[in-house]
Amino acid sequence: MTRHARHRRTLVSAVSLTALVALWEIALRMGWLPSNLVPLPSSIPGILWAEVQDGIWLDVVLSSLSHYSIGLVIGSVLGIAVGMAAALLPWFDAAHSWLARLLRPIPPLAWIPFAIIWFGVTETAAAFIISIGVFWINYFTSYSAVRAIDDGYYEVARAFGQGGFTARLTKISLPAAAPGILGGLRAGLGQGWMTVVAAELFGIPGIGQRMMEASGLLATDVVVVYMLTIAALYALFDFLFMRIQRRVLRWQQ
Amino acid sequence: MAAMNDASAPVLTARGVRLGFADDVVLDDIDLDVAPREFVAMVGASGVGKSTLLRAFAGLLTPLRGDVHLSTADAPASRTWSMVFQAPRLFPWRRVRANVELGLEGLGLSRDERRARALEPLSLVGLEELAERWPRTLSGGQQQRVGIARALAVKPRILFMDEPFSALDALTRQRLQGELTELRQRSDAAIVFVTHDIEEAVLLADRVVVLAQPGNGKPAGVRDIVAIDLALAQRREQSGFRDHVQRLERHIGVATTPEEKTS
Repeated sequence: MTRHARHRRTLVSAVSLTALVALWEIALRMGWLPSNLVPLPSSIPGILWAEVQDGIWLDVVLSSLSHYSIGLVIGSVLGIAVGMAAALLPWFDAAHSWLARLLRPIPPLAWIPFAIIWFGVTETAAAFIISIGVFWINYFTSYSAVRAIDDGYYEVARAFGQGGFTARLTKISLPAAAPGILGGLRAGLGQGWMTVVAAELFGIPGIGQRMMEASGLLATDVVVVYMLTIAALYALFDFLFMRIQRRVLRWQQ
Repeated sequence: MAAMNDASAPVLTARGVRLGFADDVVLDDIDLDVAPREFVAMVGASGVGKSTLLRAFAGLLTPLRGDVHLSTADAPASRTWSMVFQAPRLFPWRRVRANVELGLEGLGLSRDERRARALEPLSLVGLEELAERWPRTLSGGQQQRVGIARALAVKPRILFMDEPFSALDALTRQRLQGELTELRQRSDAAIVFVTHDIEEAVLLADRVVVLAQPGNGKPAGVRDIVAIDLALAQRREQSGFRDHVQRLERHIGVATTPEEKTS
C-alpha cells in the first residue's frame, strides 16, 4: 500500500467511527433509542474521570492486569513448551495426542467450576482459567510451526556438526518456528482479554466484577467505560507486542 | 584406480557399498578411493542415486551393506567433511556471517575467532562486504557462494558438493565453476562433486565416476572411472575436452546432436 493510500484509509476509518458515535448520540438525544439501554457517548469521559478519581478504575485495572499477566505467561510458556515437545518428540506426541484431542474442545469457561473447587474464588482461579485459553492457542501454533520446518535445515545442521537435540532445538526449531510461535503469542494476548472478564464475572475483583456490579445497577455508562478500557489495554499490548515481533523477525522483512 | 599418490592415504574409502531399501536396492557394489586434494565428480542420469551415494559417503545415510571410511580431520578446529547443497539452504534468520559460522560452533573457538574464521572464506568467494546482510537480500548466486564459504570455513578434509550449481542461471553457473577451480588451488580439501552435467564434470574434476544401471534391471553401479588428464586452465578450449565429454556421454547413454559434437 502506498503512503497516500494508507493515509486515505486512516481517514476513512476515523470518519466512519466518528460518524457512528455521532449518530448514536443524536439517536439518544432525539429519543429514537431508549436511554436506559445505552448510555450517551458524551457522558463517557465524565464517568471515566469519576471512576479514576475514586481510585476504582486503577484498582480494578491493576487487579485484572495481574490475573491477565499471570495467566498469559503460564499459558504461553506451557503451550509453547508442550506444543514444541509434541512436534519434536514422536513418543511424546503419541503419548498425549488423545488427551489433547479430548481436552481441546472444552472452552476455558467450562473450567470455572473446577477452578472454584480447586482454588476458591481467588485470583489464582482467574489466572488458571485465562491460562487455559492461552495454552491451547500457543500449543497448536507452536506445534504446527515446528512441524512445518523444512527438513533440509536439519540436514544442514547435521552436516555441520549441529545434529544434537539441543543444537537442533536452539539453532533451528526455535528460530525457524519463531514466526508461527509469535503469531500464537499475539493471538493469545487477545484471547487472554476475552477470558479475563468472563473469569472475573463470578466475583474475583477486576474489570469483569466491576462491570457486573454496574450492570446490576443499569449503569450502562460505567459498563461502556470498562469495555473501552479493555479495548485500549488490548490495543496497547498488541502495539507493544507487534514492535517486539517486528524486531525479532527482522530477518523476514 | 588412477591418479593417486601412493604416499598419501585416501581421505575417503568406500568398499562394496549398497544403498536403497531392503527390497529395492538402488546402488550396489560401489568401490571408490578419493586421494587428498583430489577432485572427483560423480555423474549419472537423474534418479541413478548420485545424491544418495554422496550422503552415504558423508554418513548422513547408512548403507545397507559395505563400508565407508573417512580419514578424520587432524587440523585443530576443523571438521572431517562439510557439504554444499543443491539449494543453498542458508538459515534465513541468521546473517550471512552467522550462517558461515554454523560449522565453527562447538569447535572450541571464541566468538572473535569464529568471526575471523568466517570472514576468511567469505572473502575467498568475494562476499566479505555482504557479511552483515540477511540471506534474503542476496541473489541466488551469492547465496550459493555463501553456502560454499560455510562449507570451507570448517577447513574440511573432504568437501561434498551436491549439484551445487544446477539451480543457477547459465552465466552465474559458469562464473561459479571458474571460481571453484580457483578455490581448489587455495584449499586443502578433496572434493566429491555430484552433477548431471557431463561438461561440468570434465571441466572441474581430476576423475569422473560414471554411475549407471547395467540395463538388466539390476541396481546401478560404477560403470567407468575416467581420469581427466587436462590442465585446469582453459580446459574447455583443449582438444581432449570434447573427447572426454563424448566418451562419458556414451557411457551414460546421452545422445548428442552433430552440431553439439562439432561445437
